[in-house]
Amino acid sequence: MRPVLGVLACALACGAQDAAHENWPAYGGGPSAWRYSALSQVNRSNIRRLAPAWVFQTGDVLGGLQSTPIVVDGVMYVSTAKNRVFAIDAATGRELWHYFYPVPREFGLIYGPWNRGVAVADGRVFMGTIDNHVVALDQKTGRELWLVNVEDMQQCGCNITAAPLVAGGKVIVGVTGGDSAHRGYLTAFDVKTGRKAWRFWTIPGPGEPGHETWAGDSWKSGGGSTWMTGSYDPELNLVYWGVGNAAADFYGDARRGRNLYTDSIVALDAATGKLKWYYQEVPHDVWDFDAAYECVLVDLPVNGRMRKLLVNVNKGGYAFVVDRTNGEFVSAWPVAENITWIQGVDQKGELVGRSEPVPGQTRLLCPSIGGGRSWNHAAFSPRTGWFYSTGIEWCQEVTAQKEEPKEGQNFFGGVFQLRPPLKGKAGGHLAAYDPVTGRKFWSYESKYPLLASALATAGDLLFSGDPEGNFFALDAKTGEKLWSFQTGSGHRGSPVAYSAGGRQFVATPSGWGSAVAGLLSQLWPETEDFRPGSAIFAFTLPEEGR
Amino acid sequence: MIWVALLLAHSAAETGSAARGEQVFAQSCSVGYCHGKAGAASRGPRLRGRTFARSYLERVIRDGIPNSAMPGWKGRLTDQDIAAVIDYVASLATVSNDPPPTTAGSAPAGPAPAPEFRGTAEAERGFRLFFDATRETRCGVCHVSGGRGIAIGPDLGNLAGKPEGEIAAVLRSPRARHVVTVRLRGGETFPGLRVSKQGSLVKFYDLTTPPPVLRTVSQAEVLSVSDDAAWRHDAYLAPYTPSEIDDLAAYLRARRP
Repeated sequence: MRPVLGVLACALACGAQDAAHENWPAYGGGPSAWRYSALSQVNRSNIRRLAPAWVFQTGDVLGGLQSTPIVVDGVMYVSTAKNRVFAIDAATGRELWHYFYPVPREFGLIYGPWNRGVAVADGRVFMGTIDNHVVALDQKTGRELWLVNVEDMQQCGCNITAAPLVAGGKVIVGVTGGDSAHRGYLTAFDVKTGRKAWRFWTIPGPGEPGHETWAGDSWKSGGGSTWMTGSYDPELNLVYWGVGNAAADFYGDARRGRNLYTDSIVALDAATGKLKWYYQEVPHDVWDFDAAYECVLVDLPVNGRMRKLLVNVNKGGYAFVVDRTNGEFVSAWPVAENITWIQGVDQKGELVGRSEPVPGQTRLLCPSIGGGRSWNHAAFSPRTGWFYSTGIEWCQEVTAQKEEPKEGQNFFGGVFQLRPPLKGKAGGHLAAYDPVTGRKFWSYESKYPLLASALATAGDLLFSGDPEGNFFALDAKTGEKLWSFQTGSGHRGSPVAYSAGGRQFVATPSGWGSAVAGLLSQLWPETEDFRPGSAIFAFTLPEEGR
Repeated sequence: MIWVALLLAHSAAETGSAARGEQVFAQSCSVGYCHGKAGAASRGPRLRGRTFARSYLERVIRDGIPNSAMPGWKGRLTDQDIAAVIDYVASLATVSNDPPPTTAGSAPAGPAPAPEFRGTAEAERGFRLFFDATRETRCGVCHVSGGRGIAIGPDLGNLAGKPEGEIAAVLRSPRARHVVTVRLRGGETFPGLRVSKQGSLVKFYDLTTPPPVLRTVSQAEVLSVSDDAAWRHDAYLAPYTPSEIDDLAAYLRARRP
């Protein structure tokens, strides 16, 4: 298949359906997760004068700062690794209120401590917690309104690190636990009362369609976590969520079958949580290659016909493009050079030439468990029509081993050791792609994997940060680096743009930490000593620069 | 000579222990994002090439590190396996042999090992039902038993030793003591459990839909709080067959608090 994409056509037809403007109201900028701001006061002609306006230190440095700040009407809402929430004057950096969640003294889960952001809606600020609760705070005061324990962390070995999604009067949260013996789900709560509205199990139970894709009792501990944030199409009233790997990660003999709905995109009715369609990217995953990352919703022409699409880059390093009205496969293309777990994806979306770990043996496979890309999010600019994604070149030796599930306990079925790639040097890149064909227009190369999200703006700028602490801006059309600022700690969060008092700001978390950040030391020993941190840096143009 | 032989024997034992430790380490410590293969570091710190006191390793492995991702392995690994892991780490790192600590530390962190319960076949079935993760409204969503579960409703330890018929009757009883009806200004009404009152704020568990929601409302918002039988505990027993309820009763009779 050779889909034809008119980039110009997109610039006209895509409009700015999901651009963020004065506010950055939702995790992905808007419900379509473009991570694009329509603000252009800061642009290619004046970016060199961009300067820090304020810095906010959260004081909670362990685990780094992985948050996406939310900005509504001049107030920024940020959450930290140990579930501190701050409301900050977005123009000055002054604290308006804070809420410190009472984190249990005993924690001991492999999923944290970290948190990737809050959701703000209906006068409330919502956050998932590292001990698997959802809390709602009063948006004006930070006072707790409701708190619900989703499932006992001590039993499930799971928690919440992703930002919630608000859709149709409900706050929807996923759950970690995909590398533990656990059965994943999404849960929706009423925004006002916290009462559970619906639950969608990512692994069908007895009697449900798809249950037959699991051998024996393996469905009870098969993973399928929902550890990132989904997207929402209000017109179709569908919530889209990426589902994580099957467990045990590397050992699949006990769960023969396709293992639905692991490594799938699920489309759910926002009102009821009922499954509308699914698309499974990786049937019977034995590599820990989640399809859990963001679902970017774009309307683009394919072979001359406008289609409502969904783009999801998975951990195996492939972007899958599907029709978001029905889940029909459109295309798939890679974001990394070093991919050996499959030889490719055919025209029907089937994986070709699978290379699987073998129990008791050690095999070299690419990319590593850290992913052909990590979770840090891509951006889509309707001005260029391009999709901006990071990619990582690295491999690993995997030794799969038989493992029995113990409820809530680690359930990996193997061990791994990172190795340099087969082709070229280990490292990362941030590149511009045609979202449908995967044609690459430019690539910005990085010594270390880039683990911060991208932000695209109408100033034709692309912002992101690197592990060494540099926050930088690239020309969205050419990839040329135009500006950079050293924030003092590495980047693992998501930058945003907003306007306050008539001035455009670009703000970024700075604070090194996370699971994949820790993995880096296997290939780059010096990263073990990279300094943690937890601060928000906000930049704007000096008065005379505007 | 005997002394040398003893030393050699000890060294051989340690080597055997380290081999066992390597297996345990691979399955428990290397996994996923933790210490990496052979302690090469990952999300957890590098162990290879570092220097540790044996007592430190023993304490951290047994008790975990509070407020971190390092769980306590006491109860999940046997004492021999913990010793074997330390012997294995000693083959990767420098481990000084200072005397082991004499006191045990705090409770283990992280997901607790599945509580051991042994009893009659009926009671063991009841135990599994109590925590059955495939049931969204399992007992453990609101009750603690044997140190596990969520403490919202009454502790069920006081049922231990009572006749099974009496326990089953309590489970099937429509009425639950302590449950009140909370009426808020604005018209909202919900079955609740009183939790606390701090200044002008009151906390209730809202029992409308499981899992219960801890609601914080200002005293001024509360129109009335009244004893009420509208909420029915037996509704949550409806999905269980009569013999399953008997199993739960047998478990609660046998389970000491």
